[in-house]
Amino acid sequence: MTFAKRSSAFALALTTSTFLSFSTSFAADLSMWVRASGAGAAQHLVDLWNTGHADKKIAVTVIPDNQMVTKLATGSQAGDVPDLVSFDLIYMPDFMKAGFLTDLTADLKGDPNYAGVAEAYKNIATYDGKIYGAGFTPDVSILVWNKDLFKKAGLDPEKGPTTLAEIHADATKIRALGGDTYGYYFSGACPGCNIFVTSPMMVAAGAKILPAKAGDTPLDGDGVKAVLTEMQAMWKEGLIPASAQADNGASFVSAFMSGNIGIEGSGGFMISLLKEKAPNLNFGVTILPGIKDGQQSAFVGGDVVAIPKGSKQAAVAKEFIHWELTDEVQLEGLAKNNIIPSRPALADNKYFKDEPRVVTTAKALGVGYVPWVFHFNDMVNSDSSPWIQMLQTAIFDGDVDGAIKKARDSMSSIVAQ
Amino acid sequence: MNSSNASRWTGLIYVLPALIFVCAFVLYPFGQLIATSLTSRSLLGGGAFVGLANYEKAFNDSAFWTALGFTARYTLFITPILMGLGLLLAFLVLPNRKIRKVVRGVVFLPVVIGLGTSSFLWYWLFDEQVGLFNKTLVDLGVIAHPIVWFNTANMALWAVIISVTWKVVGFGMILFVAAMQSISSEVVEASLIDGTSYLQRATRIFLPLILRTILLVTLISAIGSMLAFEQLYIMTAGGPRGQTLTTVYLIYQNSFINFKLGYGAALSVILTAIILCGTALQLVLTNRRAHQ
Repeated sequence: MTFAKRSSAFALALTTSTFLSFSTSFAADLSMWVRASGAGAAQHLVDLWNTGHADKKIAVTVIPDNQMVTKLATGSQAGDVPDLVSFDLIYMPDFMKAGFLTDLTADLKGDPNYAGVAEAYKNIATYDGKIYGAGFTPDVSILVWNKDLFKKAGLDPEKGPTTLAEIHADATKIRALGGDTYGYYFSGACPGCNIFVTSPMMVAAGAKILPAKAGDTPLDGDGVKAVLTEMQAMWKEGLIPASAQADNGASFVSAFMSGNIGIEGSGGFMISLLKEKAPNLNFGVTILPGIKDGQQSAFVGGDVVAIPKGSKQAAVAKEFIHWELTDEVQLEGLAKNNIIPSRPALADNKYFKDEPRVVTTAKALGVGYVPWVFHFNDMVNSDSSPWIQMLQTAIFDGDVDGAIKKARDSMSSIVAQ
Repeated sequence: MNSSNASRWTGLIYVLPALIFVCAFVLYPFGQLIATSLTSRSLLGGGAFVGLANYEKAFNDSAFWTALGFTARYTLFITPILMGLGLLLAFLVLPNRKIRKVVRGVVFLPVVIGLGTSSFLWYWLFDEQVGLFNKTLVDLGVIAHPIVWFNTANMALWAVIISVTWKVVGFGMILFVAAMQSISSEVVEASLIDGTSYLQRATRIFLPLILRTILLVTLISAIGSMLAFEQLYIMTAGGPRGQTLTTVYLIYQNSFINFKLGYGAALSVILTAIILCGTALQLVLTNRRAHQ
C-alpha cells in the first residue's frame, strides 16, 4: 500500500464518525464483524461454532447497520480487516467489484451444501464467474395479516390475500371497522422498507425494477404502474394511516404490532418478534402477491458471510463457511431459533413443524429475488433516491405516470455513470 | 539580543504542542479533504484526478442548491429564536435567588443530553398516534385532530426547530447570564440611583455591555445550524421528497451512502468556505461595533 493510500485511509478514519460496538469477552482466534440487525442470528451460529471449536473461537463485533460499508471500506483500504464479515447481501456486487473479498470459487464449487443454497444468495455472491460469499443469516419479505381484525370485518381469518386487488378489498372492509383501525400499512418515507415489501409485488406482476447496466430499462413492466395505482387508491380512500406518509421506518414493526393494522408487508423476522413482544396478536403469514392470482414474489434479504482480503485466518474462516452450510448447523443454529435456513430444501424440518408460518417464509426464499446491481444506494437506499421519490409522488401526490417517468430517467442516469 | 532570541524559542516551545495538534488534526485532514475534492475517489477505492469537475458538478446540482437553501432557511429561522429566547430567559433568571437558580438548572438540563437522543425523544413526542405533543395540543383545544408533523417540509422544519430550541436554548441563556453577572455592580447601582426603569437598564446597560457575548453566541449558533445533521437525519430523514436535506446531510449521503467521496469532499469544501465567509463577516462587524 502506498503512503498516499495509507494517509488517505488515516485521514478518512479521522473524519469518519465513531461507531458503537461490543465484542465477546473471551480471547478469540478469529474476529468477525456482523451488522447489528443480523447480530442475533449470527450469534447463534457463532456460539454453536465456539462450543465445538475451543481452539479456534470467533469473537463477534457488532457494527451499526449504516456504518458497515464505511467500516469495511476504510478497513480494507487501511489493511485492517476482520477474518470474517457478515453484511447486507445487497452490497455484495459493490464489494466484489472493489476487490475487498477473497475468491472462494475453488472452495465452494465442490461443496454439495453450497449447491443447495437459495439461488438469490448464489447469484448475488457471484461476480465474473467467481464466488465470493455464501448465505449466512437469511431473511425474506412476506405479507402479514391480523386474523382478529379479519374476523371482525367478516373476512376469512385463515385466508390471506392472494392478489393486490384482494389486499385492497380486504383493507376496505377492515377500515370500515372505524376508529384507529386501518386496512393497510407501509412506511411511506423509508426507501429500504419499500424495496423489501413493495417491489416484490411489482416483480410478482412481471416488472423489472433496477437496471443492472447502462441501457437496461428501469422500472420496466406494467406491474410498477399497477401496484402504484392500487396503493394510491388505498391512500386516497383513507385505508392507510396518515402517519405512514412520514414514516422513515421507525414504525415498520410497531404499526402492525399495535393490533390496529389489517395487512402489512413485513419480513420473516416478524414472526419470532411478534411471538415474543405481542403474544396475543393472532396473525397469518403469506407470500407477497402480484396483480393476478398465483403471482408471488419476495425480496431476499439478510446477510451473506465472506472473507475480507487480508484476513489473517483465511483457512479457518473458509472452514467456518463450509461448516455453517452443513445440515446440522442450518438446523441447530438457524431453524431451532425460528430463523430460516439458507438452503430452502431444509425448510421441512422438525423445528418448523409446529410453526407453519416459518415454513411459508422459507418457501418465500425459494421464489424471492434480489437485484444484482451496483449503485443500489444511489437508486434505492438513499433518503432522496429516485425509488422513494417515485413512491411518494405516485402514492401521496397521485401523479403515477409522472413519478415513474422521472424515476426511470434518474435511475438511467445513475447507472450510466 | 540573545535573551530576546531565547524568549522567542521559549514561546515557540510553549505553543508547539498546540501547533502540532492543529497541524495533525485540522490542517492535514483539511489538506487531504481539498486533495480528495479534486478526485473522483470512491469510498470503495479507486478514482482519478478530475480537477475542478466536482465543483462544477456542485454548482449545477439542484440537490445541492435545495439543501443549501433549506440549511440557510433553517439557520435564519432558528438563530433569532435561540438568541431572543436565550436573552429573555437570561433576564428572567438573572438574580441569584434560589428558585431562579433552579429554573436555570432545569432550562440548562437538555443541553447535556445528546442531540441524537433528544431528536429521538421529539420524534416520538410528535408522533401522530402516540405522541404527547399532539395529545397536549388537542386537549388544550389548539388543534382539532393530531397532526402528522413530518408530512410537509414546512411542518417538519418547525418540528425540528421546536426540538432543537428545547435542546440548546439553555446554552445561550447560561452564557448571557454569565455575561450579565460580570457587569460591574457599580454600573448597575449608578443607574438605579439615576432612577432608570428595568427596561431602560436592560436596553441601555445590559444589552450594550454584553454585545460581544451576544455576537459570539450568535456566531456559534449560526455555525451549528449551518452544520445541522443529526436532528434532520433522525426526525425527517430528509423527507418529504428530499426537501429537508441539509448540506451536511447531502455530504453524508454522497460520501457514505452513495460512496462518492470526491464529490462529498468538494461539497464539504464549499460549505467550509461559506461558513468561513459568514464568520469573517460577523467578526468584522463585531470588531466595528466594539470600536464604536
